Amino acid sequence: MKFYQPTTLKQALKVLANEDDARCLAGGATLVAMMNANLLAPSALVSLSAVKGLAGITRRKNGSVTIGAMTRHQAVADTAALDGGQRLVREAAALIGHPAIRNMGTIGGSISHADPAADYPTALVTANATVTIENSRAKREIDAQNFFTGYLETALEPGDIVVAVSIPAGVAGAGSAYEKFARVQGDFATVSAGVVLALEKGVCRHARIAVGGCAATPIRVAAAEAKLVGSRLQDSAVAAAGVLLAAACDPIDDFRGSSEYRLMILPTILARAVSKARVRAETVS
Amino acid sequence: MQIAETFAVAAPIERVWRFITDPATVAPCVPGCQSYEVLTATSYKATIQIALGPIKTNFNVIVDLTKAEPPTYLASTARGEEGGKASTLTAKSELRLLANGPGATTVSYASEVALVGRLGKFGLGMMKKKAKSIGEEFAVAFRTRVEAETASQGGTAGEVLSADNAQAGA
Ligand SMILES: Cc1cc2nc3c(=O)[nH]c(=O)nc-3n(C[C@H](O)[C@H](O)[C@H](O)COP(=O)(O)OP(=O)(O)OC[C@H]3O[C@@H](n4cnc5c(N)ncnc54)[C@H](O)[C@@H]3O)c2cc1C
Repeated sequence: MKFYQPTTLKQALKVLANEDDARCLAGGATLVAMMNANLLAPSALVSLSAVKGLAGITRRKNGSVTIGAMTRHQAVADTAALDGGQRLVREAAALIGHPAIRNMGTIGGSISHADPAADYPTALVTANATVTIENSRAKREIDAQNFFTGYLETALEPGDIVVAVSIPAGVAGAGSAYEKFARVQGDFATVSAGVVLALEKGVCRHARIAVGGCAATPIRVAAAEAKLVGSRLQDSAVAAAGVLLAAACDPIDDFRGSSEYRLMILPTILARAVSKARVRAETVS
Repeated sequence: MQIAETFAVAAPIERVWRFITDPATVAPCVPGCQSYEVLTATSYKATIQIALGPIKTNFNVIVDLTKAEPPTYLASTARGEEGGKASTLTAKSELRLLANGPGATTVSYASEVALVGRLGKFGLGMMKKKAKSIGEEFAVAFRTRVEAETASQGGTAGEVLSADNAQAGA
């Protein structure tokens, strides 16, 4: 196996384009573990750690925040740049694994691996984020919702590198929350939910919801969001949204919970996220 | 893990039986089937490609038909090994055909699949979903093939049956 350590994105993209079956190496938290378990044997590793310009968080004048692909989870958890409707992304980062993992894993690595139980995918779909992808020929942007396509599957093609993730400022006065239920602290989610809400005199005027750990990709249901909009977020409206979301899910059965169990706790996790986001939206508006 | 599927085919049971017991018609309908070989009247060998995200591998599978009651019941066992990498797959399957009138057949099968080795330790929950989607793809491909052939031979082409293999509620 060959090992490359390019210092520019251009070099990295060139190596990826020329090597058959090469993989990017970001934090290595997942990739190296899979190689050790004999699950992957790439012909070459292209380390992104020395590539200039891939790490860091920038907030633009319009309020959107761009997170470089090589930004570690801890840096996102600690940033003051994400607030209002973007705050749940920071909250999700803070709930990933434990300190060692948060100092090692990167946002680019997490979304490229696309584990259905990971935290970033659900938070980024909720926050309506955009993923910037580059290969040796072109650069493109894709909505987080369309980026995740299946179990460990994404819109990435051979030769592509995730360069950054951008989170729009979103609706003014919005509050957001990410709620995760895991068997033990630091584990992947059994079920998770992201919520962005905006209120006007106690009435919900904007809602965006995604749930994680309940299907191959984060699940959004327009009708569930519509149950909240116009409501005062009373228990019955939130429960109705939970029912619609559960109906659209198809969770796996594994040691983190049976399919039935995940569907059963989903409405409760959603309700927790809604109540947190609501308090935050009320404080903002 | 257990995998079960039921689907409807708009063709007479004898024709469905003939197709489903003939490796030449079944193999092209199996997603990822790279090649097959007939070993004896009751045993076949096939190479099947399986992918889960970045993990891609080939299984060399030997299928033995253990019991046949034409045109309604077929039992088989399968045993496969990954080329080079240490995973073994074993499956015990039962297939049942039920005539639904003269030009319609309900196909149902149930398999008990065991996967040990490197792949068995990884993402079994996702593997099970993958297996289910392979089963669904097979059902669609098989139905399309049999019905196309039935239609071209002036069979019961007008009869369109709804398959109940779609993921409920999804
Ligand atoms: C013990 C443990 C606990 C964990 N707990 C959680 C948890 O609770 N929640 C959670 O969400 N995650 C969890 N994770 C996953 C972790 O947070 C990382 O997100 C994950 O390891 C991937 O990030 P990485 O930077 O280490 O990527 P790597 O392991 O380096 O790469 C992962 C994959 O992405 C590809 N890749 C990496 N970067 C790019 C890029 N820029 N462009 C294209 N492809 C790329 C690689 O080729 C590889 O296939 C856990 C991991 C471990 C080991």
